[in-house]
Amino acid sequence: MIKVKNLYHSYKKDDIYQVKDVNFEVEEGEIFGFLGPSGAGKTTVQNILTGLLEIHKGQAEVAGYDMKNISKDMFNKIGMSFEQSNVYSKLTALENLKFYAKLFDVETRDPKDLLKLVGLEDKANMRAGEFSKGMKHRLTFVRSMINNPIMWFLDEPTTGLDPSIAADIKNIIREKNKQGVTIFLTSHNMFIADELCHRVAFIVDGEIKLIDSPRNLKLQYGDKMIEVDYIKDGENINDSFSTILNEDKKKLKEIIDNYEIQTMHSKEASLEEIFIKVTGRGLV
Amino acid sequence: MKVFSGFLKELKLASRGFYFYIEIFMAVLILILFLFIVPDEFSAKGEEYVFLDMPKEAKDVYLKGLTGEDLLNQRKNVKIKIDGKDKNVDLYETEDSSLYFLESKEDIIYMADNKRKISLIIKMDEDHNLAYQYYLQGYESQKLKNLIRVLNLESAHLLQENMDSLEVRSISIDSKRLSDKENMLPSVLVFNGSLMGLFLIAAYIFLDRQEGVIKAYALTPSPVWQYLMSKIGVIVFISILSSMLVLLPVMGLKPDYLLLLVLLISTAFFSSALGLLIASFYDSLIQAFGTIYVFMIIMILPNMAYFLPSWSPTWIKIFPTYSMLQGFKSVILANGDAAYVLSVSAGFLLMGLIMFFLANLRYKKILFR
Repeated sequence: MIKVKNLYHSYKKDDIYQVKDVNFEVEEGEIFGFLGPSGAGKTTVQNILTGLLEIHKGQAEVAGYDMKNISKDMFNKIGMSFEQSNVYSKLTALENLKFYAKLFDVETRDPKDLLKLVGLEDKANMRAGEFSKGMKHRLTFVRSMINNPIMWFLDEPTTGLDPSIAADIKNIIREKNKQGVTIFLTSHNMFIADELCHRVAFIVDGEIKLIDSPRNLKLQYGDKMIEVDYIKDGENINDSFSTILNEDKKKLKEIIDNYEIQTMHSKEASLEEIFIKVTGRGLV
Repeated sequence: MKVFSGFLKELKLASRGFYFYIEIFMAVLILILFLFIVPDEFSAKGEEYVFLDMPKEAKDVYLKGLTGEDLLNQRKNVKIKIDGKDKNVDLYETEDSSLYFLESKEDIIYMADNKRKISLIIKMDEDHNLAYQYYLQGYESQKLKNLIRVLNLESAHLLQENMDSLEVRSISIDSKRLSDKENMLPSVLVFNGSLMGLFLIAAYIFLDRQEGVIKAYALTPSPVWQYLMSKIGVIVFISILSSMLVLLPVMGLKPDYLLLLVLLISTAFFSSALGLLIASFYDSLIQAFGTIYVFMIIMILPNMAYFLPSWSPTWIKIFPTYSMLQGFKSVILANGDAAYVLSVSAGFLLMGLIMFFLANLRYKKILFR
C-alpha cells in the first residue's frame, strides 16, 4: 500500500535534509507505526505521503499513486487525522462533517453515524469552537473517516484524550483494520504502538533506525526482568533484575534469602525501553 | 456544485464572524449619515462683517440698493456676541455670503481681531464717494487681495454686464447632474463596496490558516481554485449587500441597477483577487496589514481627481479606482453610458482573472503542496 525508496526532504531545499534516505514498505491491511521523538521527521514523512509536502529526492507510492505526480483521485482513497485539531470553530460538528463530505467524489459516511461513533451525537449542533480539546480531537478523527479511506493516516490519534475515550478510539482503529483498512500511525507514544501496530519503524534525526514487529523487537532486544519489592532495614525498596545476567541472578537470590519480599513480578521490556536501547535517545 | 457548497459554507462562516458585521455596520452608519446629516448641496458661504460709516439717509439708500440688487437677499435681525455683549445686527443672506451689518468701527475691529472674520468699513466722503476699508487676516492670497481691489470699481460692473450678455449653449441637452450628496456615493461604493474586499478576503484566509482547516481541505480531491472562488463569492455578496444598503434608500430607483450589479461584481472580484494575492505572501494578517494599507492608500488617490475635476493628471487615471469612480458615477447618473460601464467592468474582470490565476498558483505552492 505504501512504498518509500531513498526518500529525502529538506525544508530549505538545501543539502541539510530533515529526512534522509528513508526506505520502507507498508503492506495492505497492516497497521504500521512510525515512532520517534518530536522533530525526528515523522510528520515530514507523513506529509510527503499525504501530498502536503513535495518530494525532493527519492520515490514514494501510496495506494498505487506516485507521489511525484499526485492524482486528485488519490484523495478519495486516503484519510488523515491530524494531531492538531483543525475544524471550523464557527461551524457546528455536524456542519463541519457535512461540508467536508461534499468535497469528495465518492460515497461518504453519514455524519451523524460518525459523531455517534465517538460519543459526540449529543453535541452535533454545537459549534466546534465551544468544544473541549478532546472533543475537537474526536471530531478531527472521525472527519478523516468520512470518505471510507482504504489508506488511513493517523497522527497521534489518542493524544489529549481521557483513557476511556482513548480506548474507544483504539477499538475503532482495530475495527477499521479488520475491515481491511491500511493504517499508518505516527506517534511518540510507544504504548499505543505496542497495542495496535503489526510493525513499527523507529525514526530519529530523519533516519529510520529499525523496522520490525513489536513482538520481534521484544524477543530480540528485551531482557526478561524481575521486579521486586522488599524490606531492608525497615525500609521498602524496589528493584529490577535481569533473568539472564548472572550478576543480577545472584543479587536476586541474595534478596530472596535475606529479606522479606513484599511483591515480585516478571516483566517484559517495554517498546520505549527498546527504543532507547536501539537509538540511544529518549522519546521526548 | 462544490463551489456552491463552499460558498454556502463561507457565507455561514462569515455571518458568524466579526468582519461581516463591521462591514454591515459601516454601511448602516454611512446610510444614516447620508439620510440625516449630509446635505443635498454643500454651501461654502463666507461671512463678512460690514460697518457703514455714513449718515443714516445714505445708509438706507445703500442697503436698499443692496436688497434690490439681488432677489435672493433677505434681511434678518439677529443677535451676535461682540466683546461679551449681545448685539442686534442686520443680516443679509446672499447666494454666496452672509453679510452682518454692525453698528461701530470698534465692533468691526473686534470681529477682525478676535473672531478672525473678514471685516469691512464702507465710508462716504463729503463728495458722496464710497471708500472701502478691509480688515484681512494676513493669510489671504494675492489673488483675493487683487479681487477685493477690483471688486468695487466701476469697471468690474462693466465686466459683469459683459459676462451676463454672453450666450451660453449646452451641447448635450439632456445632461444630468448629481447633487453634492449623490456625487459622494461613487466614492462610498468604491471603498465600502469594492475595495473593502481587499482587506476582508485576507482576513478570512488568515482565519482559515490559523485554524488549520486549509490542510484538511488540501487532503480532498477538491481543487484550490474552488476554495479560493468560494471565498471571493462571499466577498462579492457582502459587497453587493453593503452597497445596496446605502444606495437603495438614498437613490431609490434612479440608478441603473443591472449595470451597477455588473460593475460591483467585477470590481469586487478584482479587489478580492488582489487581496488573495497579497495575502499569499504573508503568514498573518498583522504581517500583511502594512502592504494592504499601502495598497488602499494608493487606491484612495484618484478620489482627489474625482472631487477636484480640474486636477486630473494622466498618471492618476492609471489607478484602477479612477475608472471605478467614473463607472459608479455613470451608473448612478443613469446617463445611458452602458458601453463605458461595461468596458470598465470587462477590464476589471480581466485584471481580476489574471490576479486570481496568480493567486491560485501561489496558494497551490504555499498552502497545499
